[in-house]
Amino acid sequence: MFQDGRRTRLARVGVAGAAALLAVGIAACTSSSGSSSPSSSSTASAGAGVAMTGQVGAVPDMATGAEKTGTVTVAAPPNSAPTWILPLVTGAADSVFDVDEFDYQMYRPLYWLVNGVEPTETPTMSLANDPTWSNGDKSVTFTLKSNYKWSNGDPITSADVLFWFYETKAALKESPANWAAYTPGLGVPDEVASISAPNATTVTMKLTKAVNPTWFMEDEIGDIQPWPSQAWNLDATGGKHITDWATNPADAKKIYDYLTVQSKSLSTYASNPLWQVVDGPYKLSAFTASTGAFTLVPNTTYGGPHATTESDVQFVPFTSDTAEYNALVDGSVDVGYVPLTNVPKLSTLTSKYNDFGYTDFGWNYVSYNFGDTTADFNNIIDKLYIRQALAHLEDEPGYIHAFFNGAGGQAFGPVPVLPKSPFTPATASTNPYPFSPSAASALLKANGWTVVPNGTDTCSKPGTGTGECGAGIPAGTKLAWNVDYVTDPAVIGEQVQDWASQAKTVGITMNLSSTNFDYAIANYNDPSSPKTVNKWAMDDFGGFTDSTYPTTFGVFNGPGSENLGDYNDPTANSLITSSISSPNPSAVTSEASYLTTQQPGLFQPNPDGGFGTASIVLWNKTISGSPQSFEGLTQDIWNPEYWFFTK
Amino acid sequence: MIGYIVRRIGVSILILFGVSLFIFALLHAIYPSPAIDVLGARANGALIKAFNKQNGFDDPWLVQYGRYIGNLLRGNLGYSYKLNQSVTSLINEVWARSAWLSGVSLVLSVVIAIPLGVYQAVRRNTIGDYVATGVAFSVYAMPVFFLGLILIQIFALDLHWFSFEGSQSTSVVGVIGDWHAMTLPVATLTLLTIASFSRYMRSTSMDVLAQDYIKVARAKGLPERLVLLRHLLRNACLPMVTLIGLSIPNLLAGNLITETLFNFRGLGLLFYTALQNVDYNVLLAYTLIGALLTIIGNLVADIALTVADPRIRLS
Repeated sequence: MFQDGRRTRLARVGVAGAAALLAVGIAACTSSSGSSSPSSSSTASAGAGVAMTGQVGAVPDMATGAEKTGTVTVAAPPNSAPTWILPLVTGAADSVFDVDEFDYQMYRPLYWLVNGVEPTETPTMSLANDPTWSNGDKSVTFTLKSNYKWSNGDPITSADVLFWFYETKAALKESPANWAAYTPGLGVPDEVASISAPNATTVTMKLTKAVNPTWFMEDEIGDIQPWPSQAWNLDATGGKHITDWATNPADAKKIYDYLTVQSKSLSTYASNPLWQVVDGPYKLSAFTASTGAFTLVPNTTYGGPHATTESDVQFVPFTSDTAEYNALVDGSVDVGYVPLTNVPKLSTLTSKYNDFGYTDFGWNYVSYNFGDTTADFNNIIDKLYIRQALAHLEDEPGYIHAFFNGAGGQAFGPVPVLPKSPFTPATASTNPYPFSPSAASALLKANGWTVVPNGTDTCSKPGTGTGECGAGIPAGTKLAWNVDYVTDPAVIGEQVQDWASQAKTVGITMNLSSTNFDYAIANYNDPSSPKTVNKWAMDDFGGFTDSTYPTTFGVFNGPGSENLGDYNDPTANSLITSSISSPNPSAVTSEASYLTTQQPGLFQPNPDGGFGTASIVLWNKTISGSPQSFEGLTQDIWNPEYWFFTK
Repeated sequence: MIGYIVRRIGVSILILFGVSLFIFALLHAIYPSPAIDVLGARANGALIKAFNKQNGFDDPWLVQYGRYIGNLLRGNLGYSYKLNQSVTSLINEVWARSAWLSGVSLVLSVVIAIPLGVYQAVRRNTIGDYVATGVAFSVYAMPVFFLGLILIQIFALDLHWFSFEGSQSTSVVGVIGDWHAMTLPVATLTLLTIASFSRYMRSTSMDVLAQDYIKVARAKGLPERLVLLRHLLRNACLPMVTLIGLSIPNLLAGNLITETLFNFRGLGLLFYTALQNVDYNVLLAYTLIGALLTIIGNLVADIALTVADPRIRLS
């Protein structure tokens, strides 16, 4: 995947309230008066109609024999230093590094929604049992498991969940940006009319309206990371413990403000007693603010599954992929990555390291700006035949071979072909618009365009009838517009340039320009930057990581906070709304199927991922553990608690 | 002299203000507010507007500049929203490391390049001169990244004589003592600087050797060693003084590639990261530091010239 870790990668932004990397549970997840398990027919056959390229290497079985401990050194890519420790990550600090590599090692979410490469729940790693639904999916109840506790000996109770809830409300009241996964008006906490704790292990939420149970469990309450209500209920260091945070918003705010100040003090992360109260498998023993290096030591009270004896984990930051590669050659890190550009050099490392590459659960795309009125672009791009023609100009197998060195998989919609998900629609396994410039040309000619290969097409048959260009396209309109792309990683530009080159052969002129990710997100973003709406027609900044219930709510429904190009299709809106509100646990499959055929953007192939970038993951052959714990690295999920040394 | 220095300092302050104004205006034009960085990519227009109003980013840019200068005079370089630390603390964490790397490289370069340049001038058109010239041209033509990679491959990964990365110690004392880790990064910077300095020194030495006073000194029977030390060296070094002064900010900026390659966190890397992240305040602070170093380097060079050559009077 491409991820903004900031910097050196394609960016992924968490979708619709979901923490970026939570995966979806399937059959066991839902149980309500009106729902049923997702049907198996929604799971696409991996081999149907598309080459399943992309996997590199393999994960060996767990070693038998003595499990030895030590210190596992992990390479941290450039720009991956955690900058936030409070388990309510702000929009500014949100990244896979801050959340998965750092936060989740200490503070676990209610549901662990990934299992190796598959976006499915691992129930033994969830803090809570699966929820039950009632009152027409307007009421949800879940119970906390008894084997998990805080490192200070306190049990994890329903009060800790309520503490998180009320503190989150206090945080959001100050600014909606204080929680990266928050979507105003949607899910937790805005759709929670009331929350209660009938006993020490049970939490009940009554909602303002019926919701889709799968979505709510996987994308909303799955994000909740309980806070230790007995240890963190302070408004000052050494102050009195505040107990009325549920009933007194002013006191809840004081607690949040105090914890925020502590979270901003990076140099005290390892020494501050607040952050030593954890429920995850690790505690922080060292943190260097200037470099972002940190060391985790085992939390001996951790109640979840782990290796017989856990090892320490030391994250070692690197200033560049080159420096990290040198460390792998030198053998001085145990777990690292090789960017896709270095895949041909993998063989120099496989004598010391195991390697594995797999596509992550997400999608990359070129965003189309349906609001750009320059040269009637909005009226051009809203024509399905235009978008189909553009899709026919993309050579996904070619890109995977040439730019990803074979380490990538095809994707034709917002749910990729791999990893397999119970929500993958049948349309996702076959390219609806395979690479064919002649098909693109035929579509244009059939709809009233004069195709001028290597020139610029013009509309020669204006009108709304059959064989005419369509509404809002006057005679002489040209198929020419600007396309911007981010420069890092280089594969983005490579794909866009090839696509533009193919487009030129059928007379579509794309004027390319490049920029960096931050600029693109700030300016080629209609909801955030309406003043630049007519300055961009298309933009390739990367894409999105799917939550395990892969709805594109907020991205492709109009209006949506991440609907960068103002796509607004009534059918899509209806399907997307159903995904989060209908009782059908597989509603999202219909949404994905429709968007695959409608192409609201140009969906692009998925490179193999890990470490927040397009890469192959490697680990020292002297380290073993459950295969899923290594597979999960490709999904940016870290479970070093399963790792042990074999010598 | 004192008057000259005072006047130069006064002018330098004006130049610094000018540079800061220019850079601030430029950055503001392309990046008027860190709202998206603070609020996240999902922030909508209303949220961004509220943030800008609350934090003064909707004020006229001159007003924002005035506020920035006011904070600057109080030692507040601003806050990095991306790295969640004050710019002052970010710079404090790394400037000494960069200074050590640059300083050692510069000293070594001068100590080696000056006698090498003199040797090449005195022994010009000999085998020794040709070899030194060939090596200098080869190194000078080589991108610093490439040179560093070669050194790493041969001396670290193949021979294991040195570490493949720079010192990871967070204290300057630790960095200074870690010769095993710092040899290759220092060598990378030093070799490139020697290549250019030695060429300058050779050229100026050849000019001085052609002067009449050198012939007179030799004719008087002065030992060649003393001719070179007392007459050649002092006069040939004059242009080098200016060169050294002006190379100080270059070394800091040139560190970027070396720091990136050798996993050595310094000012150059901080700047590069800030550039990628469009970390406004860090970019501004780094540019001001660069401007300050250029001004100081220039001033020091001018003063050093008057010390080295009494014929030069500052007026």
